[in-house]
Amino acid sequence: MVTLDKLKSGFKGELEVLTEEPKLSIIRIKNKKLIKKVAWQIKEEFDILYALSVVDYTPVFELNYIFSNYRNADSLVLKVNIDEKDFSIDSITDTFNSANWEEREAYDLFGIKFNGHPDLRRILLPEDWPGHPLRKDFKVDDEIRNWTGLDLKF
Amino acid sequence: MIFNYVYSIISAFILSPLSYIISFIIIAILAVIVTALIPIFIGWVDRKYAARIESRYGPVYVGPFGLLQNFADLTKLLGKRFIATNIDWLSFNFTPIALATASFAMLLIVPLGGPGLEFISIPYSLLFIYTLLAISPLLLLIAGWGENNKYALIGGFRGAAQIISYELALIVVLSSVALLSGSYSITSIVSSQSAIWYAAYLPVTMVVFIIAGLAIIEREPFDVPEASQELQAGWKVEYSGIRYGFFLIGDYVRVTVIAMLVTYLFLGGWNGPFISGILWFIIKTAIVLMIILTPRWVLGRPRIDQLIKFGWNWLLPLAVLNLILVELLVL
Amino acid sequence: MVKENSIRLNIGPVHPAMHGVLKLILDVEGDTITKAQTEIGFLHRASEKIAEMRYFSNYYPIMDKLDYVSALNMEILYASVVEKAAGIEIPPRAVYIRTIMAEIQRIMSHLVFIGSFGEDLGNMTGFIWALRERELLMNVVEKISGGRLAPMYICNGGMFYDFPQGIENEILEALSIIEDKVKHEYNAMFTKNQIFLSRTKGIGVLTKDMVKKYGITGPIARASGIRRDLRKVSPYLAYDKVDFNIPVENDGDTYSRFVVRVMEILESIKIIRQCIKDLPAGSSKTAVPWIIRIPKKDTFVKQESSRGEMGIFLVTDGADKPYRLKLRSPTFFAIRALEELLVNIRVADAFVIVASIDPVMGEVDR
Repeated sequence: MVTLDKLKSGFKGELEVLTEEPKLSIIRIKNKKLIKKVAWQIKEEFDILYALSVVDYTPVFELNYIFSNYRNADSLVLKVNIDEKDFSIDSITDTFNSANWEEREAYDLFGIKFNGHPDLRRILLPEDWPGHPLRKDFKVDDEIRNWTGLDLKF
Repeated sequence: MIFNYVYSIISAFILSPLSYIISFIIIAILAVIVTALIPIFIGWVDRKYAARIESRYGPVYVGPFGLLQNFADLTKLLGKRFIATNIDWLSFNFTPIALATASFAMLLIVPLGGPGLEFISIPYSLLFIYTLLAISPLLLLIAGWGENNKYALIGGFRGAAQIISYELALIVVLSSVALLSGSYSITSIVSSQSAIWYAAYLPVTMVVFIIAGLAIIEREPFDVPEASQELQAGWKVEYSGIRYGFFLIGDYVRVTVIAMLVTYLFLGGWNGPFISGILWFIIKTAIVLMIILTPRWVLGRPRIDQLIKFGWNWLLPLAVLNLILVELLVL
Repeated sequence: MVKENSIRLNIGPVHPAMHGVLKLILDVEGDTITKAQTEIGFLHRASEKIAEMRYFSNYYPIMDKLDYVSALNMEILYASVVEKAAGIEIPPRAVYIRTIMAEIQRIMSHLVFIGSFGEDLGNMTGFIWALRERELLMNVVEKISGGRLAPMYICNGGMFYDFPQGIENEILEALSIIEDKVKHEYNAMFTKNQIFLSRTKGIGVLTKDMVKKYGITGPIARASGIRRDLRKVSPYLAYDKVDFNIPVENDGDTYSRFVVRVMEILESIKIIRQCIKDLPAGSSKTAVPWIIRIPKKDTFVKQESSRGEMGIFLVTDGADKPYRLKLRSPTFFAIRALEELLVNIRVADAFVIVASIDPVMGEVDR
C-alpha cells in the first residue's frame, strides 16, 4: 500500500506496523495527539471510517479505527491507546465524516471524550443512563435494575 | 314512490289519519333496514374481492361465506371503550353523525333499481346528492380540528384541499348530464336514456365522473387524507368504537351511491332488453362497483400535490371541455 | 425550539409506517419538512456485551436477532469470523451449502423490502404478494433447519445438519416460481405503475459524494452508481466459483434502490442454481469441540449482508469467550443520511425514503 509506506516514512518512531497483508494491515501509533495528522494521511487512500472498535484493557483503552475504501477490499486498522487519566482523544470527524456516529457510540458505551466532535451526545442509550455498559468494570447494580426511564408526566 | 304504494295497501284496512302514521312508521323501519343492509353487503363484497386479489380467503367464519362478518365487526365496535382525550367534545361527536347522516340520506333519495323505488322523491335529486357529497370538506376540517391531534389536523387540511379540487369537476360533469337530459331528476335522466346510453355520447365525461367521484369519497388511490401509512388514519386517527363504525359504513354507502350514479347517469339505469329492469340495474351496478373497487388494491397512493395538480390541470379542463361539447350538441 | 407556523411531528418509535423502532422528529411547515432528526437505540440489547459472556458456539442465537430479516447472513458472518480466528477449515460442501443459504436469505430479505416498500406507498396487495413468495422459501428453510425467522442452522465448522434428501428440487421449484413472479407480476404492480413511478422517481436522491461522506454500503450505494459488492471485490464462500453480475443504477433515487434490489433477487437465483448444480458430495461439517479457545489476536471479517457490508472485529485473549466483539452494521451508517435526505421534501415522501433505506432496527441498535 502506498499510504502505508508514506506513513512509515512520515511518522518515524511514532508508528509501528504490526501486520502487513494485502487485505488487512494493522498499524499502531504511540502518541494519541497524532491521530488527526495520521487520519489526514490515511484519507488519501481510504474513503470512509468503516468501524471504530474500543477495547477495554483497563487501565488502557485501545481504539481500533478501521478504514476502508470503495475501490477495493483493503482495510487498515489503526490502533491508538488512551489511558484512564486523560480519557479523551481528538475527533476525526472533520476528516472522515462517517466517523460521526461511531464516535458517538464509543462515547456512549465507553465514555471516551472526543475533542472537537460536533454533536457528542449519547446515541444508543438514554441521556440519563448511569455508566458506560461496555466497560469491563460495569456492574448491573440496583440503580440500573430499578431504572425506569425518563420521568414522564402523564 | 314506495310511500304511496304502502299507503294504498294500508289505507284499505285502516282509517285515514291512522293509516298515514302507520305507513310512515313502516317506511321509516324499511328505510333503516335497507340503508343499513346495503352498505354492510357492499362492505362484504369489498373485503372478499380484496382478499381474492391478494390471494387470501377474506371473511369465512361468520355466516355463510362470511356474509355476517361486518355485523360481527360492528357489534364489536359498539362495545369499544371511548379513549380519546383532550378533544373538543362537540365537533368530535358531531362529525361522525353528520357524515353518516349525509351518506344515508343519499341512499334515501337514489332510486333503488326502478322508477319510483325511492324513499323520498324530490325533483332535483341529483343536485341534492351533490350537496350531500360536497358537505364533507367542512366536516373533515371540523373533525381534524376537534381531535386535537397533529396527524388529524394535517389529514383534515389535506382532505379539504383534495375534495374542493375535485368537487368542481364533479358539478361540471353533473351539469353536462343534466343539460343533455334537460332535468336534474335521476328518474327522468334514466328515462331519457331509453334509446341510447349517455356513455355513448359522453365516454370521457363518464371517466371524469368516476375519477372525481372516487376522489370525493376518498377511495384509494385518492385516500391521501387518511393515508394509513404516513398519517396513521389521517383525520380519523382519534376515532374509535361506533364513531369509527359510522365512518366505515358511511364510506361504503358513498361507494355504492357513486356506483349507482354511474349506472343512472351514463349506463341507462334500469333500461335494457329481455330481463326485468331491476336485474339490469343490479348487473350494471355490480360491474361498475367492481371497477371502482379495483384501483384501491392495485394502485399505490399519489402525493397530495400530485393529486391536486391532476384535479386542476386535467380533470377540470376535460370536464369543462365536455360541457361545451354537450352545449353545442344540445343547441 | 419549534418555530412559529411549524408543527413538530414525532413519528415513531411506534408508527405503522416505521420499520421497527426508528424515531423521526420532523419539523413540518405546511406539507414541507424543514428539519429532520433521527433517534435510534430503542432496540439496544447490548449484543456486544452479551458476546463477552458466551462461549464462541453459544452466540449464534444473538446473531440471529441482529438483522432478523436476514438471520442466516448474520450466522454465516459470525461463523466465518470464529473459523478465521481459530483456523478452522470447513469442507467444500459446507461452503456451498452456506452460499446457498446466504442467497436464499438475501432473496427473502429483499422480498420483505419490496413488500414493505409497496405498503408504504399505499399498495397493500404488493406487500401480501411479496410475503406469499417469501413463504415458499420460508418453508424450504424450515425443512432444512427447523426454524423460520431465526433458523440457528450454522455452527462452528459447518452447519448442524446436512441438506435433507431431495431439498434441491424443492429449492429450484420455489426459485422458478419466484423468478416468474418477480419478472412479470411485480413489473405490472410496481415498475409499470404510473403512480409508483411518480412517487419514487427523483425522490431522495443520494449522490455518490453523499454515499462516500456517510460511509454507506450495499444496495443503497450500488443504486448511486458505486460498483462495489464484497462478493465480487473480495470473494468469500463460493462466490468466486459462480458467475453473476452486480446490478448498478446511477440515479441514486428511491426508484433505483428498488430496482437494484429487485435485480439482486434475480442474480441470487442465478447463484443458487449454479451452486446446486455444482454442490459437491462429502461431509458437511468439520468436527469442532463446543468450547474452543482462541489465542490472543485481532480478527476482522466483512461480508455482504442483504443491507450492506456487515463486519465483525473480534478480539480474543486465549479464553473460551471473546474479549471484545464489535459489530459493524451497514444501516447504522445509512440511517445517518436521513437527517440530510429528509429536508425540503413533502411529508409523504419521507416515508418512501425511509422505506428505501430498508432499515432493520435490530441491526442498527445491536
